[in-house]
Amino acid sequence: MEIIVDQANGQLPVTILKLRGDLDASNFETVIAKAKELYEMGTRRMVIDFSQVPFMGSSGLVALHSIALMMRGESGINLEAGWQAFRSLEHTQEEGAQQYVKLLNPQPRVSRTLELTGMNAFFEVHTDLETAVFSFR
Amino acid sequence: MGVHLLQLAAHLDELVPLRCFVEEKTTDLQIAADKIHDILLSVDELVTNIILHGYRGREGSIEIQLELQGDSLIVFLRDQAPLFDPTQVPPPDITLPLEKRPIGGMGIHLARHLMDEMQYRVTSSGGNELILVKRNVLPYKAQRLE
Repeated sequence: MEIIVDQANGQLPVTILKLRGDLDASNFETVIAKAKELYEMGTRRMVIDFSQVPFMGSSGLVALHSIALMMRGESGINLEAGWQAFRSLEHTQEEGAQQYVKLLNPQPRVSRTLELTGMNAFFEVHTDLETAVFSFR
Repeated sequence: MGVHLLQLAAHLDELVPLRCFVEEKTTDLQIAADKIHDILLSVDELVTNIILHGYRGREGSIEIQLELQGDSLIVFLRDQAPLFDPTQVPPPDITLPLEKRPIGGMGIHLARHLMDEMQYRVTSSGGNELILVKRNVLPYKAQRLE
């Protein structure tokens, strides 16, 4: 898994996390660690670019959720928590999709994993980087 | 002709070769693309569980067998980790309060949802064997028969 970080300015500053490679149990903690590093450097809004992620397992969902909680200032989830992670999303669901992490260009297999678990309800998906960056208000 | 076997070390680095194997063999078997993803995700989740929760960092191996029977794909996952029957894991109950929720089980739940059948048995050598079935994987063949 290669992770490339970029910055963009829409109405607000946004960090772009571009992932390259499959996102699975072997590397999801690396993605969380990178997001934590960026959070500590001041990042509060993030676009995660999935254009070059052919596959994502449930570990990837844990990473996404953990990063979304982190960006809104909550502590990350217990990585061993499994379905508990989804439970803690319930109050997020009441508010609609969270506004801190947005996804760019998930490929069909990644979209399917998001849909199967209902995680697509919590993340805005964009197909264009500029639109994604300017969607933060 | 329709049987393919792979043996992997119980290590997370082996997930990429695992997925390559499943993708390549199911493509060779002319399985429909959407079914390939379901099989790929299920096998990835269950093998991840065997590595993380079965072997728990200990050395070991996992055998994956793909077998086409009629228009069904049968996946056998065999390991020598401590005996564990994932078919007995209850489905997540979303009505339970957080503190009573079972820990983990996401991968098993996904596999149950994506595959048509899941059976468990203890092998003659005392290991775990999980048998997954995905039916109607050959839409093109079915179309030709119509």
